[in-house]
Amino acid sequence: MSGVVFSTWRDEFIDNRDKPHDEWVETGFRLPETYHGDRASKAFIGWDGVAIFDEDIDAVELANQYAAQYQEYSEACGRCAPGRWGGRILYDLLDKIARGEGSHDDITHLKEISQTMMATSKCEIGKTVPKPILDLMEHYKEQFDTCIDAQIPSKHYNGDTSYIAKVTAPCTDMCPAHVDIPAYIEGVRDMVFTESLQATRQTMPLAHTCGRVCPHPCEDACRRANLDEPISIMELKRIGADYETDHEVPWLHPHEPKPPRNDGKKVAIIGAGPAGLTAAYYLALEGIKVDIFEELPVNGGEVAVGVPEYRMPVDKYNKDIDFVLEMPTVSITNNHRVDAKRLKEIDAEYDATLLSFGTRLSKKVRAKNENPDMQGYWGAIAMLDKVNLWHKYGIGSPASNELKDKVVVCVGGGFTSMDVVRCAIREGAKKVIMLYRRDEKTIIRNTTYEEYHEAVEEGVEFIFHSAIEEIFDDGEKITKLKVNRYELVPDPEGGRAQLVKIEGADFEIECDYLIPAVSQALDTQILPEEWNIEMTSWNSILTNGKDYMTSRPGLFAAGDCEYGPMTIVNAVGQARRAASVISRYIYDGKCTLTDDEIMEDHLAKLKVYDKNEKITGWMPGIPRAVSQKLETAERKTNQKEVNLGFTGEEAISEAERCMRCYYISMVAV
Amino acid sequence: MGVHNSINRGKEITLTIDGKKCKSTFGKTILEVARENDIYIPTMCYLSKVKPIASCRMCVVNVEGVEGTILSCQEKATDGAVITTNNSELYTERQNIMKLYNVNHPLECGVCDQSGECDLQNKTMEFDVAEQPFTTKEPHRPIQNWGHVSYDAGLCIMCEKCVRVSTEITGDEALQLHFGGYSSTILNVKQEKNYASLGEAAAVCPVGALVDTHFKYRANAWELEKIPSSCPHCSVGCQMNYEVRHDKIYRMSNEAEFTSLCGAGRYGYDYANHNVSKDTKAFEDAVDAVKNAQSILFAPHISNEEALILQKIKEQTGAKLICGEARGYQKFMQAYASVTGKKLFGGTLKGISESKAVIVFGTRINDDAPVVKYHINMASKWHRARVAYMHPLEDAEMKNIVTQFIKYEPQSEEGVAALLVEMLLRNVDVSQNVKAFLDDLDIGNLSAESNVGEEELEALRKSMLKKEDFSLVIGADLYAHPRAEQIAKILALVEKYAGFNVVCVPPAGNAMGVSLICELDDKATGKTVGYNVEADVVLSALGNGDLDMPALNQQEGTITTVDKRVVPMHVAQPYGGYVLNDIANALGLYAEYTIDYTKTLPVEKGFKAVEFDALPDYFDSVGNEHRGYLLDVCHTEVEEMFEEVDEIDAFDGAVVYICNPKDQFSAFTNLCEPLKEEPFLLGSSQFATATKLSDADKVTFEIDGVTFKRVFKIDTSMKGTIALNPTYDMGLSAPLVSSYRFSKVKMMQDKKRGS
Repeated sequence: MSGVVFSTWRDEFIDNRDKPHDEWVETGFRLPETYHGDRASKAFIGWDGVAIFDEDIDAVELANQYAAQYQEYSEACGRCAPGRWGGRILYDLLDKIARGEGSHDDITHLKEISQTMMATSKCEIGKTVPKPILDLMEHYKEQFDTCIDAQIPSKHYNGDTSYIAKVTAPCTDMCPAHVDIPAYIEGVRDMVFTESLQATRQTMPLAHTCGRVCPHPCEDACRRANLDEPISIMELKRIGADYETDHEVPWLHPHEPKPPRNDGKKVAIIGAGPAGLTAAYYLALEGIKVDIFEELPVNGGEVAVGVPEYRMPVDKYNKDIDFVLEMPTVSITNNHRVDAKRLKEIDAEYDATLLSFGTRLSKKVRAKNENPDMQGYWGAIAMLDKVNLWHKYGIGSPASNELKDKVVVCVGGGFTSMDVVRCAIREGAKKVIMLYRRDEKTIIRNTTYEEYHEAVEEGVEFIFHSAIEEIFDDGEKITKLKVNRYELVPDPEGGRAQLVKIEGADFEIECDYLIPAVSQALDTQILPEEWNIEMTSWNSILTNGKDYMTSRPGLFAAGDCEYGPMTIVNAVGQARRAASVISRYIYDGKCTLTDDEIMEDHLAKLKVYDKNEKITGWMPGIPRAVSQKLETAERKTNQKEVNLGFTGEEAISEAERCMRCYYISMVAV
Repeated sequence: MGVHNSINRGKEITLTIDGKKCKSTFGKTILEVARENDIYIPTMCYLSKVKPIASCRMCVVNVEGVEGTILSCQEKATDGAVITTNNSELYTERQNIMKLYNVNHPLECGVCDQSGECDLQNKTMEFDVAEQPFTTKEPHRPIQNWGHVSYDAGLCIMCEKCVRVSTEITGDEALQLHFGGYSSTILNVKQEKNYASLGEAAAVCPVGALVDTHFKYRANAWELEKIPSSCPHCSVGCQMNYEVRHDKIYRMSNEAEFTSLCGAGRYGYDYANHNVSKDTKAFEDAVDAVKNAQSILFAPHISNEEALILQKIKEQTGAKLICGEARGYQKFMQAYASVTGKKLFGGTLKGISESKAVIVFGTRINDDAPVVKYHINMASKWHRARVAYMHPLEDAEMKNIVTQFIKYEPQSEEGVAALLVEMLLRNVDVSQNVKAFLDDLDIGNLSAESNVGEEELEALRKSMLKKEDFSLVIGADLYAHPRAEQIAKILALVEKYAGFNVVCVPPAGNAMGVSLICELDDKATGKTVGYNVEADVVLSALGNGDLDMPALNQQEGTITTVDKRVVPMHVAQPYGGYVLNDIANALGLYAEYTIDYTKTLPVEKGFKAVEFDALPDYFDSVGNEHRGYLLDVCHTEVEEMFEEVDEIDAFDGAVVYICNPKDQFSAFTNLCEPLKEEPFLLGSSQFATATKLSDADKVTFEIDGVTFKRVFKIDTSMKGTIALNPTYDMGLSAPLVSSYRFSKVKMMQDKKRGS
């Protein structure tokens, strides 16, 4: 029998206990009724309530085990009086009742201690742990009473039920790399910056990079936003990373790297971008041998040759790269292009292979007379390669040779197009125009407020609701573009508004360069045809999104080649999971997930962040800190880093706004 | 969103706390505003001198319109907020927290050193927790002896104050949290020696978890009389209290809520000249000797009043006054003033702690003036300050604070100063003279000779771009430098034109007071009398001279601190002998007590005509310092005259650097049992190779006519060919060593046994 027997999850009150099964109320939440495969869950208990799936549940033991898990968590904390002692007493009293030695006074004490914990704990975990326990004490009172009155153990005390717990936070859950954000913020607050960085590196080796150029989806799941403004999560990550380089401390690992295994097992990684570096790092942290093959002479993938210096200084990125490449079991071969033939050799030689290359084919804008060979037609990836190879590595020649005093039109709307237009400004273009099909709000949502705002300040002209219909040339090079204008027409039915072309509003732009930056595609030539690797409908490599193995056993894929062009943090998250799976696969040939990973996926499905939740116990109206940026005149002609980062005072003040929204959840299986 | 906002700091706000309208500025916490307005909010973990810890949760308040309880120690006060600090609900929460703090807390107050001044004891009573309602299984945690301090985890309430002072104040980061839920403890990760964090931690510990090992079980807190005073050991002059019973000092304490003490201040208290009675014969001989002396030599460890008495004796007898270290500082500051037009440097310790970049030049600051180092650490922790440490010798103890070590060759300080100033003033408008001086510098040559790469200074310049609030901390290496006056003039430009908070840390004890009060001479001639210095006739507080003198904890008087503050010292130990004032009186001067001179300290040097007994000595409720008074700023004529930078003599090979270890400053600290340590000539293995010395070899060498017999010891944390040579154990000879701190000495190795 499946379904929810009882639930108090997120104020949804369901009690099907005395009802015939056909009258059972169903839950609106994606609760983990099945744990993994065909293993059913008996109950799920967490920060927001408790859900029972098995009518034979031992509620006393469930409460007791939840308190025990909290006790275990607080083994890693103990930072406030209510949490430290309250948690201990909660567990002591519940265990006393569960083993049949409790009294009704203990119930009174439990309620009293719960009240204090909920009111005064330092972080949400201490505040929320008592809630489901109180729910169980209220709605399964008879089980507690039986244990106390008869002085007998609870019905499955010390039974064979497994209790699997996980600590998370809304921001951590939303972060594709599941970075322990509250911990690294706490490190800043405590001014123990080394611990901040170590917390980040548990799941994110590229701390410099993701402290600078991450689009921070976490901030959309920051509970502080329910009160005033989200924490400036991304920029606080940079503090620990900068500390490491400023003070030249030895590399800070999340834990002591395991010694090289030297057992003959080895993993190949194709591509030294964020995904490849991440997988290499976490495999090496376990002592596993990793060989990376990189096509370019420089390391770092698209972040190196795509993201401009003014956003991501290469000396900082190189710190992240060196951090990985200096691991004793990692080696890299540059200028090594892996084609289908070579991939077959690698596949045969290595115990597992991870594909972690990028999407480096610029897609077309789909206009009439579009000819990539035409002079003036310059794919975004090629253009950014040239700019970055020159400025960061002194390879090639400056792009100002091409762009100085020219009119440049870019078609885009994402980060890559922003990099194109802002680089074009820096290379001395006379006029830079960005054409975008949708509106200003959408471009901000697709990138960041800062990115758009800074581009405008630097003189980029944005033309919204526009698209190129036709490209004109003089037989040699592009001369002008014909552009259509669109308007957003609301759907009278209340559906999504439609973009409709405005008749007669077409106009022409005379230009020297057209740089399409609409999207990038995967170069699939690397995949041997006979392997028949399954692809997604958008032509990226298909995996189940959980273990990242492709349709070919032993061949894994993570990052843009798996997902399509996406963020660094997404690549990091996928690659870390892939590394974890590979670390087991190379020994047992099986694709398995750890309990922690299974719980991670359950929580992602359930969604940890609740944007409607009311925040109490915090002072509203404390503004989010905003770091200083270089003035427009100081930055638009050069590649100097635009964002100067937080001052110490800003960083600590911002860290103090963090509410430490740790939650603990547990499944009984 | 979007605009750099510096968090609206400083904006005026008005809020209401318990019905009282309170004006303040944005950036302050609710608790700070409450304390400014004398409104009481109970706390267990709050410590004013560090950032909010927020572990105890006692300071919760209610804010109108905001659901739940608000942590007043951490949450900033906002304009218009209406706050209630106490009601029955808040009382209950606090009472519940106290119940939790009392879980398993041993009821052994009768034998606990903290009893009588224990926050847990006090708040348990305040919140009427009459019994321990909750108990749980207690993990076994033995008491640990960490040296100066012992730790009893069973008594620890994990308020984290000790860890915060270790991180934010002393910066040695010796103490860390061991997260372990119910079995959380404090760890001392640097048990190999007594770090300053230990004493600081015991001072801020609210319970009996961290107590002074030397004090343990020796007296009850309430039996001790607190005698407020100022620390005379180094030039910082920290606030401190002698805790005394029956004329015996049991321990030192301080206003630890707001201020700090280093190990020397906290454990270097037992140096009084005990059991002295009036020896009339010795006194008369001493008076004669002073009358006939052509030179009076003295150590800078004297009060301002004694310095004035010596000056008056000089005026009467015409004797020369010799105090090497103070003389160097005096000449340096006079040259400095010739550029700035002000007799003192402009910087303060608070200014250092608020800096975004600090340059340390010509001092081994962690040993020379630990509390100055604390302020550099505060800048590092609170403001992520860039810290450039410029010295010939790297200091391993500074590594976690320093972001750039710039090494230069000994004796090249003039060139280094010129390079530094040229870099700092590159885009600054300066006078014609200065411009001419800077333009004439041969940067390439200076860089080559000093070994400071242009790229190093460029990296420093870059790291300071787009930042403001800078400090320059300079020290004793420069005052005795053969080119001290020129260096002073060059560095004065940093204060004058680059707007730096410059602090010229005085070289020793009350050297600043002496340098302001006395007309000092360079070289002794003829018959000499020494005050705490070797001479023909010696007056000594160390008890080994021709006439006994009181130590500084046996007399009243004032000293002048690095913060340019004149602060009072009080009598902590009895003294039955003659004092300097008696000699002065015998020579025809007249003052009943030494402190009669306090109000006559020279006003033209910035002192004020204030009676000793009228000097305030306290910190107010929000930590503003009211100790004595600040010296007035005195102006002097400006003349920006520079010489060409001198050719630098190469100073290669093995070199000895005069430097006392941390917590040792003089013969006085050397007398103190808790600080006892064996003096060594300390060098790297590279130094050993260069000098053909092995660990534990005995060597003899001479500096400034003083013969040192040292055991050489290899310190593996050191690099290069410069060794550290202390003077604290040299008794009356130590003050004679006052020339440039680096010297090439001829080392005579004692014959090894059997060879």
